[in-house]
Amino acid sequence: MIRFIVRRLLQLIPTLFGLSILLFIWLRRLPGGPETAILGERGTPELRAQIRKNLGLDEPLLIQYGRFMKRMLQLDLGTSISTKREVMTEFLERFPGTVELTITAMIIAIGVGIPLGYLAARRRGSFLDSASVGGSLIGICVPVFFLAYVLKAIFSENLHLFPSSGRQDPTLGATRITNFFVLDGLMTREWDAALDALWHLVLPGIALASIPLAIIVRITRASVLEVLSEDYVRTAQSKGLTERTIRGRHILRNAMLPIVTVIGLLTGGLLSGAVLTETVFAFSGIGAFLYEAIANRDYPVLMGFIMIIAVFYVLVNLLVDVSYSLIDPRVRVR
Amino acid sequence: MPLLDVKDLSVTFARRGQRTVRAVDGVSFSVEAGEVVGLVGESGCGKSVTSLALMGLLPKQRGVTVGGSAMFGDTDLLKTDERTMRDIRGRDVAMIFQDPLSSLNPVVPIGVQVTEVLARHRGLTGAKATAEAADLLNRVGIPDPTRRLKEYPHQLSGGMRQRALIAMAVACAPKLLIADEPTTALDVTIQAQILELLRDLVRDSGTALVMITHDLGVVAGMCDTVNVLYAGRVVESARRKPLFAEPRHPYTTGLLGSVPRLDSGKGAAARDPRFGAGRPAVAGRVRVRPALRPPCRRLCR
Repeated sequence: MIRFIVRRLLQLIPTLFGLSILLFIWLRRLPGGPETAILGERGTPELRAQIRKNLGLDEPLLIQYGRFMKRMLQLDLGTSISTKREVMTEFLERFPGTVELTITAMIIAIGVGIPLGYLAARRRGSFLDSASVGGSLIGICVPVFFLAYVLKAIFSENLHLFPSSGRQDPTLGATRITNFFVLDGLMTREWDAALDALWHLVLPGIALASIPLAIIVRITRASVLEVLSEDYVRTAQSKGLTERTIRGRHILRNAMLPIVTVIGLLTGGLLSGAVLTETVFAFSGIGAFLYEAIANRDYPVLMGFIMIIAVFYVLVNLLVDVSYSLIDPRVRVR
Repeated sequence: MPLLDVKDLSVTFARRGQRTVRAVDGVSFSVEAGEVVGLVGESGCGKSVTSLALMGLLPKQRGVTVGGSAMFGDTDLLKTDERTMRDIRGRDVAMIFQDPLSSLNPVVPIGVQVTEVLARHRGLTGAKATAEAADLLNRVGIPDPTRRLKEYPHQLSGGMRQRALIAMAVACAPKLLIADEPTTALDVTIQAQILELLRDLVRDSGTALVMITHDLGVVAGMCDTVNVLYAGRVVESARRKPLFAEPRHPYTTGLLGSVPRLDSGKGAAARDPRFGAGRPAVAGRVRVRPALRPPCRRLCR
């Protein structure tokens, strides 16, 4: 097991190396450059050349890449062109928000999705089944930003149940340690700050959960239906076991493999930021920042952020692979 | 009064747009305490559906209808509510299935699959349950039971798996055991061992056994009474000896005749009156008898 984990982590190195080359080439191939973002359309050619030179963009690609790699090996991601701050600082400030949002959304999606998918499968053909299958189709189809606006309009602007934007009420003056606002609140025992941060997560969390929820409902239903027709479920019933034992030990445990796979992929996807949800709720995560970085051709930010996100993506999927072997003893990780 | 009295059991599967299937059509038989009763017939004759109906394990869907009665003591197994059935299943009536690999949960250790029955019906938990489970595995002939308890089904051999399933079935000393083709998925040497184990268990504990099989060898070796099923009906019901000596129904004759024989010498089948020897050949349709080489099974034609 440990050897498997170590090997997978070592595999990260060539993955990241390949990704960095692809990213590098792809970013430089994009039309325009940071100088356009800085100067706008009106800058003179001389001025543009001057800025490119200052940023070191006039040198051959190979040399630029070499310089990037050298810094990267020292864990230095460089400085953002547009904000003039260190890329790492920007990242550490924004990524915790995205992580909190991802966790909230996944808790909602898993907590609702698995029970709903299970019930739909057990009562196949019932109203609940049709409703959850149809509902999940709607969940996939409705654009997230639309759902986000609707949620905001109803629960925040009309009913005033939840805050409409931000990650926390700034007037609370909460202490920052990790930039995970909920965690910070718990660590400093500023309960009101933790609760307020949690409260801010609810609406964007629901909006972001809609698509994962729909996918989890469907995959759970399909997986449970398949397990239900297995002989061992009949054996379990023939032993007179309670519904609870049959459900947990004999059905869900066997149905879990495909569900876990999908959860891993969805979590990885959410970690790369949710531009639309973050924008609607003015939630400072990495999504909106990345979007701006693309518009501004902020090469260091793009390179740094995407590389770190890739690491997290691989880690989440490593976690999924490890959990396979915990769920199913026949899966031997080697 | 018999232990189990099945009267006029019928099971139909109806599906919209399709012809209604009568899988079991008025089956009646009874099982005395400690008796071994065989349900014999070819694939699709309703053997397994009968057993599932008795266990209340047929899918509870629209279109599946079960009729008749199956009195087990004072309870009608076909009409009892699910709650009572859950108490009866595994405790009073237990079942062994055909394919031991697919019948065991692949992701749960054998030990847990045995102890969960003990916990459910006998209230045994923790070390007590584990000790009892090890004892059960030992009784069904699994060596090194304490180690096996921690293993998963894929780590056991086919015969071992079936033994484990049998251990789960007899864990609560049920009054009635239903074995649905318990040896079909096993190879021949293991089949004999499993049958012997079942025979011993039944004899020692006084459990009645309903043996569902298409294998007449199994019937000959184990059953006291035999019910021959064909197309969802019992076509013949008899004690074992008379059934083999003088089958009354043509289907039974055919079933007996379908067993390939190695022990009978040259021309034995032809001399056997049960297989219609001496019937004149139809001219022009089948080659005349002398043209067939002597060891041919169809010599009687």
